[in-house]
Amino acid sequence: MTALVTGSTGFLGTALVERLLARDGADLRCLVRQGSDRSRLDALAAKHPKAKLERFVGSLASADAAAKAVEGVDVIYHVAAAMGGAPADLFLNTVVSTKHLFDAVLRTSRPGARPRVVLVSSFGVYGVADLPRGALVDESTPLEPHPERRDPYSQAKLRQEKLCWAYHERDGVPLVVARPGVIYGPRGSAFSGRVGLNLFGLFLHLGGDNPLPLTYVENCAEAVALVGERPEAVGQAYNVVDDDLVDCRRYLRLYKQNVKRVPSVSLPYPLTVAVSHAVERYHRFSQGQLPAIFTPYKTATSWKGNRFTNAKLKALGWRQLVPTDEGLRRTFDYLKAQTAA
Amino acid sequence: MSLKVAIVGCGKIADGHVEEIQKMPELARVVAVCDLEPLMAEQLAARYGIARHGDDFGRLLAEEKPDVVHITTPPASHLPLALKAIEAGCHVYVEKPFTLQHADSKRLIERAEAANKKVSIGYTYLFDPPALEMRELLRQGALGEVVHVESFFGYNLDGAFGKAILGDPNHWVLGLPGQLFHNNIDHMLNKVVEFFGDDEEAPPLAAFGSVRRAGRFGDARDKMMDELRVVVRGRRTTAYGTFSSHIRPAAHFVRVYGTKNTAHVDYVMRTVTLDAAPTLPSAIGRLVPAFAQAGRFAKAGGKNVVRFAKSEFHFFSGLNYLFRAYYRSIVDDAPPPIAHRDILRVSAMLDEIFRQLDEQRGGLS
Repeated sequence: MTALVTGSTGFLGTALVERLLARDGADLRCLVRQGSDRSRLDALAAKHPKAKLERFVGSLASADAAAKAVEGVDVIYHVAAAMGGAPADLFLNTVVSTKHLFDAVLRTSRPGARPRVVLVSSFGVYGVADLPRGALVDESTPLEPHPERRDPYSQAKLRQEKLCWAYHERDGVPLVVARPGVIYGPRGSAFSGRVGLNLFGLFLHLGGDNPLPLTYVENCAEAVALVGERPEAVGQAYNVVDDDLVDCRRYLRLYKQNVKRVPSVSLPYPLTVAVSHAVERYHRFSQGQLPAIFTPYKTATSWKGNRFTNAKLKALGWRQLVPTDEGLRRTFDYLKAQTAA
Repeated sequence: MSLKVAIVGCGKIADGHVEEIQKMPELARVVAVCDLEPLMAEQLAARYGIARHGDDFGRLLAEEKPDVVHITTPPASHLPLALKAIEAGCHVYVEKPFTLQHADSKRLIERAEAANKKVSIGYTYLFDPPALEMRELLRQGALGEVVHVESFFGYNLDGAFGKAILGDPNHWVLGLPGQLFHNNIDHMLNKVVEFFGDDEEAPPLAAFGSVRRAGRFGDARDKMMDELRVVVRGRRTTAYGTFSSHIRPAAHFVRVYGTKNTAHVDYVMRTVTLDAAPTLPSAIGRLVPAFAQAGRFAKAGGKNVVRFAKSEFHFFSGLNYLFRAYYRSIVDDAPPPIAHRDILRVSAMLDEIFRQLDEQRGGLS
């Protein structure tokens, strides 16, 4: 079975390649863009000399370019997505590139023999702003009904997932969607926006005691690998989140204890709501002189607080490989070393 | 009367166009957006609540009948799209660079003039608050006669756009005759052309370009020049142009050297300051000017605080000013805010710079 991994040089992509290599008879094609850093893939290849690990230089910049990459594969792990940049770039490098990937699949395979696509989506696609505080988010939670009120990253991820479902329903491309929460680990970032925001050196702790839907990068990669190999997963979406979660306050405290002291101030949720009303009003009044970082809708989405379940993923047989204590220890060790460097 | 505007090309800069147009509903409104990639048109329309989007420009022109078309596509398509829009009876606003070569720019201007349509180009910095302030100083005679102009445009290849260019060996910027310079140095040249005499089409110039980065890719990207110096010999006013991808900070300024005063027009800090000179004798004369200069910056900074308080300190101030002036020129059938002569001067200078750089490359190989 040949698998293609897009985004294979990235944070999750490399971890996924490692989890796929841990399986017997792995035959992997890793899509790498020209000029991107391949050193970690090279190290994995050296560690697994018997595995087939092709580093395929290409891109998803057009369906033609993508066609060469998807030819002859049985499963595609589509991890590549833009993580930042202008909204147009986010759409181009997340949504349009996904369209090229699927068009390439249609062009290079026959109906009934399409490769399975595993999309790495995001918790960001759920529409949670109007849910009550503490509501449980599972895979049946509706997708965001007001993408235009969300940040461009979430808009792009939502449009990407909807596009994938359209190819699944219209063209019969077998699709599995993994929706990770906050992926963390060495080489990842220190803080999810769910904990709070860094404002000119002062950390605004906005997440209160909300559960932080962490998934250690190795655990997440294992989940993505697993849903890609289970036939019953086709047509399904899976939340990817670890079992023993910490809350935002505890995460911040542990970070301060184990990495470095950061000046922080905690804003209770009602105050954050009031501030976001004021920010939105000023944004409108000044015709966008300062960006609307906070709006009541974004605030409700990010900081009102939800609970998350991974029951569906566990029913498929997923088990958390790295306990959260250990994941946090490894992450904070890495972040501390970065701070010292 | 509110003009119907259509935008073709839904990349990054299109966001700025829509945002600014939506601030002037009394003058104009965006009725449709178009892109060869329907998903890109859709995302722009969805984020800004625009009624219509699509990938067929001809159909959009026929059905929406816009008064004005803004062309925000990569430069190779500017000419055919602009001609098509003019043919459909639209005024056209074209992002820089106007076209790929001077002959095409002349053709486009001639076609627009023959059809009695207004043309503008995205020279937004000409209308940023410091540029307007500098022009006011000139008008008042505070600078005297302009002897020399120095235009500096710093660039950051580590920024989002720079990364996009270097991340893709087939990026359209690499296919432009002047590559990275072609997409940027309009902003360096357009600030000097207004200082040349009415009888000067495009003054003689000498250009020197180089690649300062270390090669990383082993393909054409490694050969993309990233440093450029230009010396322009106008009859009464001379000019230097500097485009640099490596000097830090990535400054953006014009210095206007006059017979009475020298003005430093800073587009990053948004300040205009006159250079201080000694007015007192001896060592005192050398002590005082630094404080005088500091005082001038403090005053300019204070003006910006007032602008901020009045919500007049937006990133796209110049774009907003230019759009308003351009739309008014359409409504009132008045001359457009940027003279066709200056658009053509810049395009002629671009041709000449790239010709010299080609020669230089040939000489080096």
